[in-house]
Amino acid sequence: MNGPKIVLKNISKRFKIGYRKNIGALARVLYFFSSREPKRTIEVLKDFSLTVNKGEIVGIIGLNGCGKSTILRIIAGIYEKDKGEIIVNGKIISLINLYAGLKDRLTMRDNIYLLGSLFGMPTKEIKKKFHSIVNFSGLEKFVDTKLYQFSNGMLQRLAFSIAIHANPDILLLDEVFEIGDEEFRKRSVKWIEGFVRKGGCVVLVTHDLELVNKYCDRIVKID
Amino acid sequence: MKQTMSLPKNFIEKIKRLIETSYQIAKTEFKLKNEGSYLGIFWYLLNPILTFILLFLIFKDRLGVNIPFYALYLLIGIVMFNFFQSSTLEATRVIRDYRYVIKSINFPKESLIISIILKNLFSHFFEIILVSIVMVFLKVEIVRIFYYPFVFLLLALFGLGISLFLSSLTVYFVDMENVWQFLVRLIWLATPIFYSVGGQIRLFYLNLLNPMYYYISLARGFIIEGQISNCIFWGAVIYSVLFWGVGWFVFNKLKNKFAELI
Repeated sequence: MNGPKIVLKNISKRFKIGYRKNIGALARVLYFFSSREPKRTIEVLKDFSLTVNKGEIVGIIGLNGCGKSTILRIIAGIYEKDKGEIIVNGKIISLINLYAGLKDRLTMRDNIYLLGSLFGMPTKEIKKKFHSIVNFSGLEKFVDTKLYQFSNGMLQRLAFSIAIHANPDILLLDEVFEIGDEEFRKRSVKWIEGFVRKGGCVVLVTHDLELVNKYCDRIVKID
Repeated sequence: MKQTMSLPKNFIEKIKRLIETSYQIAKTEFKLKNEGSYLGIFWYLLNPILTFILLFLIFKDRLGVNIPFYALYLLIGIVMFNFFQSSTLEATRVIRDYRYVIKSINFPKESLIISIILKNLFSHFFEIILVSIVMVFLKVEIVRIFYYPFVFLLLALFGLGISLFLSSLTVYFVDMENVWQFLVRLIWLATPIFYSVGGQIRLFYLNLLNPMYYYISLARGFIIEGQISNCIFWGAVIYSVLFWGVGWFVFNKLKNKFAELI
């Protein structure tokens, strides 16, 4: 597929968030009984534009709450934009919350089928790629172990391994390399380099400046 | 969002993904429900069996005295209502239970609701085995049970519609979960499960507005009497299509905002 993989043009996004309002006694009583909090609107993104070409790794950095994850969610189609235009070419796989979709009372085997399916993989394909997923994660000894006995690093290995086997064209990663060991990080980075060489693209949200400086083709800083 | 995929291929892919995802979620939830349990599937039968025994002992010589095959009549009502109640009550919680997934992965959210129906279908299967045992015991023609899947299809369609409607509404109105718990109890009492409408005209007219009355009557017609009334049949079909359509429409209108509101 020619042309850019992702185009965001003048994207704006607002949220209604709860806050402590200076209100009278009667209003306080009403809010207490109804359990509904007062809300105000904040504009997280205003006229934000970004183009990501195939074969590119783009790093997004910024303070907590500045809208980095919101950008990923808008690209992935999880949030609706309020204004602007989005063009996406290809299958998106998003790892925004590493533990989302994993069930800690089930085995690694069951979780591979569940998360693989949530990522849009047919059961036949999961069966075919099962050993490859397990091998990439390096968790061969724990296939029938329940996830509540896994460390955070092991969960990261598992989630990342399933995600990259789901045939993505576009990979959206939100702080996935902040945990986990150096060996797995190197293996993942090596995979990503191969992925972008084949025409994929990656949008990486992170606080790790060393990582973005070393591996990203472009860095976008959000204020 | 513009996608560069041809429309029919896109549609078929979407349906395939919806079915696959629903099945995997249903399988997961079923395993989670039984995880670490010593009695396993026996729990699925315990609730309808105990309810059945209790109501049978209380009402067999009162409300059930003029009802032929009262044990079977009662059990069909209980298991069908059980399916409806479990599915719809779970639907009021499912979006909140899967909030981290909804906020992280763009997957077909309808699959969460379809998975509830699939999971409850599995436990319902064991309840239907129980109905078959009672049929053998009461010497009712066992072949009649093979008509039941058709009735169940209509009930499942209706349950899916209501579940889609409730699950999406609960995101906007948290109170809906409590309201539905109360309403389901009212519907249980209003539906002729342990009693018969008989000659009570007011109750009969009230039940014409109650979809559960149609499904239960249709199943009883097929299984106990071996014949069904046209009015009951078409009522069941119309309610199924109507509620499924409304549920699907409302869910699709509201689902895009779920991730922001949970």
